[in-house]
Order: sequence, then structure tokens, then C-alpha cells
Amino acid sequence: MPNTKHAYEHVWGIYLPIAIVVFAIVVGTLVVLLGVGARRSRPDRRSKALPLEIGYAFVLACVAAFLVWVTFRAETPIDRLVARPGLRIKVIAAQWSWRFIYSNGVQVADIDTWHPTPAYVPTGTEIEFSGTSEDVIHGFFLPELHYQRQVLPGYTTHFDLIFEKPGLYQGECSVLCGEDHSEMHFAVEAVSPAPFQEWLAREGTRIREGSSAQTAGATARGPST
Amino acid sequence: MSAVAIPSRAGSLRTLASTDHKRIAGSACVIAFVFFLAGGLLALLMRSQLAADGGVVSQNAYNELFTMHGSTMVYLVIVPVALAVGLYFVPLQVGAAEIAGPRVALAGFWLYVLGGVCMWSGFLTSGGAASASWWGFDPLSDSVHSPGGGMDLWIFGVMLVTLGQILWGGCILATALRRRAPGMTLMRMPVFTWTMVATCTMTVFGFPALILALGLLWAQRHLGGVLTGGAGAVDYQALFWFYGHPVVYVMFFPFVGMVGEIIATFSARRFFGYSAFIVALLIFSGLSMTVWAHHMFTFGVLSNKYFALTSTALVVPAGIEYFDFLATIWRGSLRFTTAFLFALGFLVQFLIGGLTGIILASPPLDYGLNMSYFVVAHFHYTIFAGSAFGLFGGIYYWFPKITGVMLRERLGKLNFWLMVIGANLTFFPMFFLGAEGMVRRVARYPASSGWQGLNILSTVGSVVIALSVLVFAVNVVISLRRRRPAGDDPWGAHTLEWATSSPPPRHNFVALPPIRSYAPLLDLREAAERHSATEVSVTAAGVLG
Repeated sequence: MPNTKHAYEHVWGIYLPIAIVVFAIVVGTLVVLLGVGARRSRPDRRSKALPLEIGYAFVLACVAAFLVWVTFRAETPIDRLVARPGLRIKVIAAQWSWRFIYSNGVQVADIDTWHPTPAYVPTGTEIEFSGTSEDVIHGFFLPELHYQRQVLPGYTTHFDLIFEKPGLYQGECSVLCGEDHSEMHFAVEAVSPAPFQEWLAREGTRIREGSSAQTAGATARGPST
Repeated sequence: MSAVAIPSRAGSLRTLASTDHKRIAGSACVIAFVFFLAGGLLALLMRSQLAADGGVVSQNAYNELFTMHGSTMVYLVIVPVALAVGLYFVPLQVGAAEIAGPRVALAGFWLYVLGGVCMWSGFLTSGGAASASWWGFDPLSDSVHSPGGGMDLWIFGVMLVTLGQILWGGCILATALRRRAPGMTLMRMPVFTWTMVATCTMTVFGFPALILALGLLWAQRHLGGVLTGGAGAVDYQALFWFYGHPVVYVMFFPFVGMVGEIIATFSARRFFGYSAFIVALLIFSGLSMTVWAHHMFTFGVLSNKYFALTSTALVVPAGIEYFDFLATIWRGSLRFTTAFLFALGFLVQFLIGGLTGIILASPPLDYGLNMSYFVVAHFHYTIFAGSAFGLFGGIYYWFPKITGVMLRERLGKLNFWLMVIGANLTFFPMFFLGAEGMVRRVARYPASSGWQGLNILSTVGSVVIALSVLVFAVNVVISLRRRRPAGDDPWGAHTLEWATSSPPPRHNFVALPPIRSYAPLLDLREAAERHSATEVSVTAAGVLG
């Protein structure tokens, strides 16, 4: 399961305590040495302990190897694309807004970026996003999922995400993109699969019937849950 | 020397045209301090904007502010200062009468000044200064998205200063390798000189990539068709970060060296683990050329795991350096001077920057933290709370040598404590802002986010830093006005620069002491101690007999 939130929380839960312990050991040692050294009048003459340093370097290398192992294990599933995603969504960024296009042609386009119209997604489903940009580099960033991917002009980048809990996910552009970089927000709302499918089908029908096709998504009412 | 022909009233011009490495370096430090104040002013404006959540300046102006703040601090302050301190002290530390290539070094100085003026003159153009961040990345920096002269002036400015830095790097490297005094073998060079060797190696090999990247960017802006589409954007950043990661250590190693000298001197103890330290340093600089794409994890087009591996491997050499610092303090006889305090500040605060760097080297974490205030906090802990503290330590340590007078210790300690409070108050809240998802380079954030409190805290901190810098400036002025002569070696230091007058004569030394280790002056003191101890025991034996 390409669950970015779990991967982040898992790795964070290992890295942060180690960082805090290392910080405490170094600063604690330093404080003790300073206390002792302030009272000493004759400094020690020894200036090397190579076997000790080699042993210490070996311990450091083991810690580094452990960290790399934790990272690789967590990264592999979130970098991999699943063969059959439950849904495919195209994301198109342009200065300074986002568009989401579903495979049946339904579009969600944001006009007011401070209160963006949410793009609906089903919960618990592997969704493959294909991101690209029409001008400069933008960053598709969903802080709650702890995930971002830069989208480039003239190149399509693919990534999988899972939204486990229903609710509104605020998104923002994480890469400096010019004048309105601060205001390039978007929103994704996760709902249960059944109402989502209903919404997608209804919006799809609306487009096929040609009723205000171009702004279908922007004016669409949400799924009824 | 051509400078002799200039009329004597043009004394300052003679200083600026001198080929004495000490004068070149001194002028560069003064100019870098001016740029430091200017870059700091931009930072204060940014902090006011964020404390007020928008409303002070427009987003476009804000983009200019952080672009010029970052560009100034990296290209015009920390890197030039790091190299200038090397330009001043490497010849002295290896017992050379002169820098290798004095005219080249002078050319480097002028390229630096011209580049700085060029970059800042962007503010005078109608479109304003460059606004595509300190890495000026394509396609935001192309002629469509960043039209106008400000961006072009930035490109030329950065190219000029970078060329100047490469020249300086070459001069320093050649001095350490070819101009050492008799007896000064490679494995007797002081710790600071070794850090400069590593620094200048990275400068000479890494910096040309930036000039190439900027040349391509210029061609893209004016001719087109060079950096196109996604590939162009990736190529530019890969070239940029191939410079950009070594430069991170160019902004770090020299200060590690300064801190090493300071700790050894004020612990009254030979630097511990010298040879392990140098091996670690060389491994560190080798690795520095292999980690660049950890800045590009979120592109998803490069091999993230490879770069995560090399970046995490930096733990080993960095850990050895810390071990040696602590082991030098261990069983030392400590003197808590201002320089020593700044060195300790460097050790503690850089550690925060380093540990958060390991967090960012893990792609699953970086996907959530990249481009956020977590990154801003991380690199300010390394460059400001780390390197700048090392630099202030270096200033308090070497100011007596450069000027011949002591800086005031009491003002120095005020300077230090204000800077500790300011730096942590400014940058620590940013870790929380970043972890909560506040992205960098935004001029406004949603009011509903609840980030204003932490931002105000951070802004208050930046004012405290400004106060601290003011105390420093006052200290310099007072110390230069009411002079307290330093003498040759006010600290009881270990290395050759303290074996000559303060300031040193034009050709650095009248006579050199014998060089039998990396701490020749400590050798002399220890020999004298042994000698007097022998005399005492002889006398005692005589009395008893």
C-alpha cells in the first residue's frame, strides 16, 4: 500500500528519537567536560586515540546503515506505482491555479484559490495522479499526507496516493512560481467510494449532455454524504 | 609595485590595489560585512511581512527580498568571508611570505566587488531585482517568466563573484601545497589550513558547474532553445546543485577549522585526533560531490535512494569531527573567552542543523518537509546558528592579530548571548511551522492556519539578532578607538600566525620558529616547561645534596 502518511510517521518515529538522543548525549557530554575543564589547571598531553576513533567510526557507520535501511524499506512502496490503480486523475498546474481531470472528462478547476473548490476522491483507494505544468515548476503538496511532488512543464510525473480518512485535505504549491505563489492553494475532499462514484457518474452525464461543460466541475455540487 | 605610483593621499585606493594577501582579505571582509548588513535588512523586512501576515510589501517585492537575501548571504557574505579568512591566514599558518598568485587574488577581489554591485543594481531597474530565488531556477528565471534587467544583472553578478571565488580558491590551494615553510610538512599544517585545503578543492572543482549553469540560463533567456521543457528544468537544477552542495560545505568547513583552532587554544591542549580529523575532512569533501540531488528528491526523476545513501553516510565524517572537538575539550584547561563561547555555540547549534539534515536526507520524510519552513530552519541552523557563530568566534580570536588591538570581552559576551537568544528564537519556531506544512517563499498564509503566533516569535528573534550585530559593531568601533594593544600572541595559541607581530609585516615573518608538529608554538612552550622543570629538579637536587 503506497501510504505516504504511514511511511512518514513510521520513519519520523525512528529518526526523531535517535536525533534527540544523539543531541542529548553530545550536549550532555559537552556540559560535563566544560564543568570539569573549567577547574583544571594542567591540561592533559595526550592527543590521539586512533583505535578508539576507528571503533567509534564503526558504530557511526552502523547507525547510518540502520537509518538507510529504515528509509529504503519505507520508500520502496511509496515510490512504486501500483499496476491497477482504483482511479486515475490528471493534475495540471499553471500560474497560479490547479486543474484536476478525471478519466471520464470531468474537470475541477479552481478559480478562487483562497477557498478552492475541492476535487473529490474516494477514500481507501489507490489513486494514480499524473502531474504536469503549463509554464514553470510547481509543487503539488498535501501536508496532511506528508507528500509533495514537483510538476514540470513538458513532462508528466506519476505518483500514487491513498486518502484513508474522509474529509477535506488542504493543498498548496510548494515551489516558488512567481507573483501569486502564496495563493496557489487547492483542496481535495475524500468521500466514501459509493457516493464518489455516484458524483463522478452524475458529473460525467452532465458533461455528455453538454450542460455548461467547461465549468462542470467548478460549479458542481458535491456528492451527497 | 604599481601602487607606489599612486599619490599618497589616495591611501584607501592603495589599500584596494595592494597585492598583499592581508590587505585584500581585510578589504573583502569589510565589504562582506556591508553586504551582511544589507542582506540582514532584507531579512528584517521579510520577518515584518510574515509577522503581519502580509500587508507590508507585495508578493513581487517579497520575492525580490528573499531572492536577494539568500543571494547576498550565500554569494556575497558567507562564501567570500570563508575564503577571505583563508586568504589572510593560510599563508601565515604555513609560514609563507606571500600568497601564491597575488595579482590573481587581487583580481578575485575585484570580481567579487563588481559582481556584488552588479547583483544589487538590479534594484535600480524598472522591473526590480531578481526574484527567482537564490538558485535562479529555470523556467521561472527564463525571459518569459522573469523578463527585465534585474534577472540578467543577477546572472552576471553571480558569475563574476563565482569566478572571483574560484581564483581565490586556486591561490589558497596553491599556497598550502607549494609555499610552505621548511619543516611544514602536509601533516603539520594547522587544522584551519587543512579545512581550507578541502574547501578550496571543492571550490575549484564544484564552482565551475555554477558558471556553466548560469551561462546556459543566459543563453536560454537571450537565444532560447537551450533549456527546454522538463529536461531543461532538471538539467539546470542538476548543474546548479552540483555546485550547490559542495558550496554548502564551503560555507561550513572553514568555520569548522576556526572552531578547531579556538577550542585547542582555549583548552590549552593540542588538537585531538589530528590525523583522523583530516581523513574525515577529505572523506567529507569527497562525499560532498556525490550528494547534490538530495535537493531534488521531490522531482521523482533521479535515483533518490543513491542520494539518500551518500547523504546519510556524511554522519560518519561529521561524527568524527565532533568526537575530536569534544576530546580536545576533554582534560583541557579551559578559558571561557568570547571566541570560545562562540565556538561552543557553533558546536551545539550546528548539531541541530546537522541532525535535521539527516532527517531531510530520508526521502519519505523529505517528501513531507521539502520546500517547507522545516528546511528553512535546518539550513539557518547550519549556516547562521552554525557557521556564522564559528565566524564570530574567528573574529574575536583573530581580530587582535589583524588589527593589533583586543576586542572588548564584556561587550563580546553580550554580543554572544544576544545572538544565541536571537538565533534560536528566530529559527526554532520554523521547525514547527514547517512540520505543520507552511511552505517557504510565501508572502501570506491562510489566517485559519494559526501560524501567526510562531511567526511573530520568529520576528522578535530576528530583532534580537539585529541588536546583537549592533553590539558587535559598537565593540569594533570602541576597540579601534581606545586601543588595548594585543601583542604577538595574546591567547597562548599554537600556530605560526601568532609567531609574528600583530598586524604582521608586509612579508609576514621576520623569523620562523622550528616547525616539528601542527602546533609549533605549543611545542616551544612545552619545551620551555620541560627545561625549567629540569632546572628546578637540578636546583632541588643541589640543595638536598
